[in-house]
Amino acid sequence: MRPENYQAINHPPSHEYELNFGPNHPGIEGNYALKVKLQGDQVVEAHADGGYLHRGFEKLMEGRLWIQNIALVPRICVPDPVPMEMAYSLAVEELGGLEVPIRAQWIRVMQLELSRIAAHLFTFGGHAATTGMYTTMYWGVADRDLFLDLFEELTGGRVYHIYNIPGGVRRDIPDGYLDRVTSTLDYLESRLPDYDNLFFTNQVFVKRATGTGTMTQQQALEWGVTGPNLRATGLKLDVRRDDPYLVYDEIDFDIATEEAGDAWARTLVRRKELQQSIRIVRQVIERLPSIGGPIRCPIPNPLAWNVPAGEAYARIDSSKGEVAYYVVSTGGDKPYRVHVRGPSSMHAVQVLENLVTGGRLEDVAQIMFSLDACPPEVDR
Amino acid sequence: MSQELTRMLDTLTKDIAGAKVTLKRARRMRIDVDADALPALLELLQGRGSYVHLSAISCVDWIDDNQFELVYHVWSYESNSLVSAHTRIPRDPGVYLSIYDLYKPAAFFERDIHEMFGLYFEGSPSMEKFILTEWEGPPPMRKDFDAEAWVRDTFTERDYNPEWLKELTDAGGGIAIRPQDIRK
Repeated sequence: MRPENYQAINHPPSHEYELNFGPNHPGIEGNYALKVKLQGDQVVEAHADGGYLHRGFEKLMEGRLWIQNIALVPRICVPDPVPMEMAYSLAVEELGGLEVPIRAQWIRVMQLELSRIAAHLFTFGGHAATTGMYTTMYWGVADRDLFLDLFEELTGGRVYHIYNIPGGVRRDIPDGYLDRVTSTLDYLESRLPDYDNLFFTNQVFVKRATGTGTMTQQQALEWGVTGPNLRATGLKLDVRRDDPYLVYDEIDFDIATEEAGDAWARTLVRRKELQQSIRIVRQVIERLPSIGGPIRCPIPNPLAWNVPAGEAYARIDSSKGEVAYYVVSTGGDKPYRVHVRGPSSMHAVQVLENLVTGGRLEDVAQIMFSLDACPPEVDR
Repeated sequence: MSQELTRMLDTLTKDIAGAKVTLKRARRMRIDVDADALPALLELLQGRGSYVHLSAISCVDWIDDNQFELVYHVWSYESNSLVSAHTRIPRDPGVYLSIYDLYKPAAFFERDIHEMFGLYFEGSPSMEKFILTEWEGPPPMRKDFDAEAWVRDTFTERDYNPEWLKELTDAGGGIAIRPQDIRK
């Protein structure tokens, strides 16, 4: 090239580039995407991009009978479906003025806590995989399977149970079921030291997670963070304690907290919750045989059930945070409006964007898993 | 406890014209308020009533009244109670104020309502599409949008009878039930 023909290339003013992180990426939970702008490997800007799991549940529910929606709601959050059924049922019960029998309430608590254990085991697996430790993932998924077996025996379904209906639960516990729950809990407890050695005290994890995705109490409250993520900033706040539903006010358990507010603290809170959930289920096992009575209250013919007009807001603490259902009835056989508030609509969008920005690309996956974000809850 | 709360909320809202406080059950309060007074109410609830957590913003389409109902659910970690502030705005033009400067989580809910109901929030940080990125039709959560009719109009139904299935069926296999297998 002759010097007179040479033209300097106009470089862009920075070395920033954009990267689509997801929707099909092993470091993303579910089908979800983050559009990140990078400078080197530092994230300058991040935008959450959802909608890949939108199935229009809220619209579908408006066109179905009250009882039919029970089959829809657990699909809103795949890893932890029980709180969805429960919150919907609680809202409908409040509208219909139904009094749930005590026995059903204890069975529900057991099911909620078993679901929390299963969901946490799943998350540990995913989180460990983002730091390159795949063994924890295999262990977590394998141990979760034992809890799915329990669900299968109780409800007939492994993932979607469709077990709680407004008014109670669909069937009583099978013979000898509580013994099998006890032995599964014993097994999980015996495994916890192994998990500690493999993952929670593993220096690979501790060094990667400490100081990653840190948020302060102030930020957490401002961004609407709930559940274990909020408790990881040192706040002892739990819907089960502050806004008790079912029989949680009769149950003895500690609210697990950590102070640091980073990915490490969030995971440790879940690790502690595992023990608390085991403690809660053990109390249920102790109490349940002495509680007789029906497992559901009489409800009108479910195919011609007009729930009285009104509106109800039911809140529940799921393994991810605050799940809430706003249900409006106009006295018809179908809901007029159901609004689902999933905790991940905060955690996976605003909180994730804020925490990822300024961090490094390699930590994006870890931050997302440490928040335990569940994209189907965002998309609904 | 509930009576104290009602009293507290009554004093809090005494300067807000038209605000009506109702106790629904323990830890659940309802306040009905005019649309132009709602931001002031939320500011009071947050600043003086310690309702710092915005749990959700729900939108209900009351098509017969030609109105949208907006429900702001705020939770207080101190008094452990939930206040649902209800307000109604006309369906047309469907424009309202954002409360993003008070509650950061409002950004998501307002964006979601804009997408699903077509209600515009002035001052919200982003009104871009989030979930229905490739959707060109009307806001789907409105009551006048019939999803079933839309599917009927948009897609054509087609019988699925491929050659290979016909062969299988003729041979008495596949998904067909052989006459001797039919339960009497």
